[in-house]
Amino acid sequence: MGKGLFGMIAVALKMLMGDRVKYLGLVFGIAFATLLMTQQMSIFVGLLTWGANPVLDVRQAQLWAMDPRVDQPDEGQPVSDAMLYRVRSVDGVAWAVPYFRSTATLKTVEGQLAAVTLVGVDNQSMIGLPADNLAEATQAIRGRNAMIVDRNNAYLIWPDGRDPVGQVAEINDNRVTITGTTSALTTFAGLPTVYMKFTDAIAITPPERNKLSFILLSAKPGTNIEELKARISQTTGLKVLTRDEFAAAGTQFIIDNTGIPASFGTAIFLGVLVAIVITALTLAMFIQENLKNFGALKAIGVTNSQILVMVLSQALLVGFIGYGLGIGGTAAFLTFGADSPGLRGFSLLGEIVGWSAVGVAAIVVGSALLSVRRVLRMDPAIVFRG
Amino acid sequence: MRALLDRFRPARTRRSHQMEAQVNPALAAQGIGIVMEFPNGNERLRVLHGVDIEVPYGQLTMLVGPSGCGKTTLLSILSGTLSATDGVAAVMGQRLDLMGDNQLVTFRRRYIGFIFQQYNLIPTLTAAENAAIPLIANGTPWEDAVGRSSRLMEQLGLAGHTGKLPRQLSGGQQQRVAIVRALAHEPALVVCDEPTAALDAEAGQAVMGLLDEAAADSRRAVLVVTHDDRIFPFADRIVRMEDGRMAAGSQP
Ligand SMILES: Nc1ncnc2c1ncn2[C@@H]1O[C@H](COP(=O)(O)OP(=O)(O)O)[C@@H](O)[C@H]1O
Ligand SMILES: [Mg+2]
Repeated sequence: MGKGLFGMIAVALKMLMGDRVKYLGLVFGIAFATLLMTQQMSIFVGLLTWGANPVLDVRQAQLWAMDPRVDQPDEGQPVSDAMLYRVRSVDGVAWAVPYFRSTATLKTVEGQLAAVTLVGVDNQSMIGLPADNLAEATQAIRGRNAMIVDRNNAYLIWPDGRDPVGQVAEINDNRVTITGTTSALTTFAGLPTVYMKFTDAIAITPPERNKLSFILLSAKPGTNIEELKARISQTTGLKVLTRDEFAAAGTQFIIDNTGIPASFGTAIFLGVLVAIVITALTLAMFIQENLKNFGALKAIGVTNSQILVMVLSQALLVGFIGYGLGIGGTAAFLTFGADSPGLRGFSLLGEIVGWSAVGVAAIVVGSALLSVRRVLRMDPAIVFRG
Repeated sequence: MRALLDRFRPARTRRSHQMEAQVNPALAAQGIGIVMEFPNGNERLRVLHGVDIEVPYGQLTMLVGPSGCGKTTLLSILSGTLSATDGVAAVMGQRLDLMGDNQLVTFRRRYIGFIFQQYNLIPTLTAAENAAIPLIANGTPWEDAVGRSSRLMEQLGLAGHTGKLPRQLSGGQQQRVAIVRALAHEPALVVCDEPTAALDAEAGQAVMGLLDEAAADSRRAVLVVTHDDRIFPFADRIVRMEDGRMAAGSQP
């Protein structure tokens, strides 16, 4: 097939690009479908990540111990205070600290109410504060009823965009003072996260509830993690998950309990469908219109292998350009949308770029193979017949 | 990929007995005892009943006869685009009926030029690019190929049309571009099926004039199938067919 192949590829590309309507139809069809698929996949993955973010934001915790009924990190089931000491006494535990996490209602001085996620971090270690602005936040949180707020979502509490630092507010009739800010990863609940010392947080929470939501811990070096998890569970009756396991559970909770997979699945499926239909139909139409010319090429002496490569080149050309435009569109969407609260932390993952490329390639190659069959099967003598 | 391509290869009927070949290498093309049958329901329709034909170099041979008598079928067999049920077909003394599919395609590409009734120019390629296709398919680099086809177009009275798209040309001009395409790689045999059928008388005359010129080369033969009696005067030889046979009194 070698000799003359490159020339015939050039002929094939000119053949398609000269047909503006079909060329642009294919390019924009594939671009639109790629955009739809990758954008929806990115948002989907981003939303799932939000489910894992409460875990991911606590970098130091290697393991999370919790009530066996808990299946997601956004809100724990309280366990008794005594559990903390029992966990600490288990062989192989380097340290264990309390962690409080619950929804609360915050009232501004103007009397505005806002739902927040209240986090209580261990008074000594401050484990549970986000990494951002850590040194200052650690200092600022020390005072009595001092509170650090996530500045990204502070506008949900103070819509006028004022500086939260220095504001006073109330939670359950307890006065709190905002003494600093941090940047938390966005969570699926979408509430502003506020941080207090563990003792302050439980003090302002209604007394009828036990106050220890989670126990965060780390293993001594060289400890077998699976064995340690089993030992803690045996001693305390608590469920113990690694950071990765609990993050995955947060993601799984969203998959299991929301319509998100179904609705995004539908959009992604539609994107794939659009790509398949537009590509297959347009390419088939293009081949059909040029059938006689392909027949003439076959008579002249262009081989079936060369015809196949010609049509594949045409398909891959529009696939390549369309895919590039679509991915570019998604990248632009995520870049320009990065500041909007609905898209915070979303990015175009390598996996999505890679798999959608594979998908588009499969679609264009599949469509090319489908429509080229007629040409390959065609008897070259047919061009002599009217 | 080979397996995929094999599936689309038309099944070739192998001859039960190869004829004693009396191929004359001095002829551009030759058919001996050519039989062609097409499947027709459960039966087989025989459209060529053992036809002999000779196409000498340096001449324009015209194959004429009523519609449906088998002219196109015979031309397809002699140009290696259709395999006969039986008989010998040779071009430049080489037996087409003994060649495999790949060999046939290569042979057509090198040694045969094709002119179709509907021109079959690629609409998005310029005239010169269209005319360069056999050169390009044979491995000539693009620029060289288009340069050569452009010069040939100029020699054949199509100067000024090289950069035009087919739709910017009249039917007669398009057919003349198709003739340049058929001649570009200097084939030994040029086959034309009803080249003037879609043209008015004047354009038809211009096209035939060009083919006549092409046939003047002693290394080339032109075979024209037609039932257009206005162009009979351009023939050096006329071969008549009737109902799948050579007409009585017609030379082979
Ligand atoms: N592929 C085919 N299948 C069946 N019959 C065919 C096929 N090609 C041609 N024929 C028949 O063979 C006969 C000769 O056709 P053709 O060679 O096209 O004649 P002409 O070119 O002289 O008009 C016609 O009866 C036609 O219907
Ligand atoms: Mg005919």
